[in-house]
Amino acid sequence: MKPPECQWESEVLAAVLESRWPERAETELREHAAACPVCAEVAAVAAVLATDREDLRSLAALPDAGRVWWRAQWRARCEAAAVAGRPITAAQVLALACAAGLTGACFGATSEWFQAALREFSVPPLLAEHAVLALAIAAFLVLLPAAVLAAIWRD
Amino acid sequence: MTRETAINDVRGEDAAAEFAMDEQTFRGFYERNARGLWAYLARTTGDRALADDLLQETFYRFLRAGAAYESDQHRRNSLYRIATNLAADERRRRAVRAPAGEIEGVAANSGAAAERTADLSRALAQLKPRERAMLWMAYAEGATHREIARILGVEAASLKPLLFRARRKLAALLGGKDLGGKS
Repeated sequence: MKPPECQWESEVLAAVLESRWPERAETELREHAAACPVCAEVAAVAAVLATDREDLRSLAALPDAGRVWWRAQWRARCEAAAVAGRPITAAQVLALACAAGLTGACFGATSEWFQAALREFSVPPLLAEHAVLALAIAAFLVLLPAAVLAAIWRD
Repeated sequence: MTRETAINDVRGEDAAAEFAMDEQTFRGFYERNARGLWAYLARTTGDRALADDLLQETFYRFLRAGAAYESDQHRRNSLYRIATNLAADERRRRAVRAPAGEIEGVAANSGAAAERTADLSRALAQLKPRERAMLWMAYAEGATHREIARILGVEAASLKPLLFRARRKLAALLGGKDLGGKS
């Protein structure tokens, strides 16, 4: 459906928005709006909304422009700092994960208790043979995602 | 470079964040547009506190966008587009289709003005968010169809029928009331 239009629609709207409607609007325009359903509707809706806008504008308790500027500056700097620190955080958590994996591997290689436990629990021969390596890989696989997650949370 | 030195380099007192405009220009732009934008946000979200938050977020994102604008009108359109998107995000986050409608404080006016505001709030609450936004932009802000289409992200060609239907709907919802506006 093609919406009905009127060539005076914009004139009526301008009169409402400039607070000329209806008292200070041209007589011809008022007479036209009284007879034209499109313009009457535009005038009615625009008058309600424009008045409401003025009511709301008077209610607004806005922060000072300088404060908004300062806060924006501060926030932008914090965000830039977070971005700058992200690769360093990632490197730190990666190093931590490697250190933890290495510690686990050393423990597995040197602990008699651990070696005895492996023999006792009838671990498959291949796994038992490479237990230290398997432990290091497992530790790394568990710690790496945890470390990455920690880095993201930190940011 | 340690983490602290990297961050301090960025946070340093001399390191002003790179915004598209200087403070003086921003102050003027803010003074001209903040009240109107707040009214738009308050009416389209139906929540004064949310309008306060979204206003600051809108100006922040506008500054961070760092875009160059041909004119103040383009800046203003961009500002309203950001505000519209933020309000839509917030609506999705809260999963609320329509706001409560009543805006605390506006309804505290007395007599005919309070009644008119309450009627409008109830009527607008029954419209879709996009309808509220386009009606406000067209009939409260006086934006052109092209501007509204850009702000709301709709095809300019489809705006006219959408606006017509929204206007008709609002007029019907307000039907029988005194639509004279001024009291």
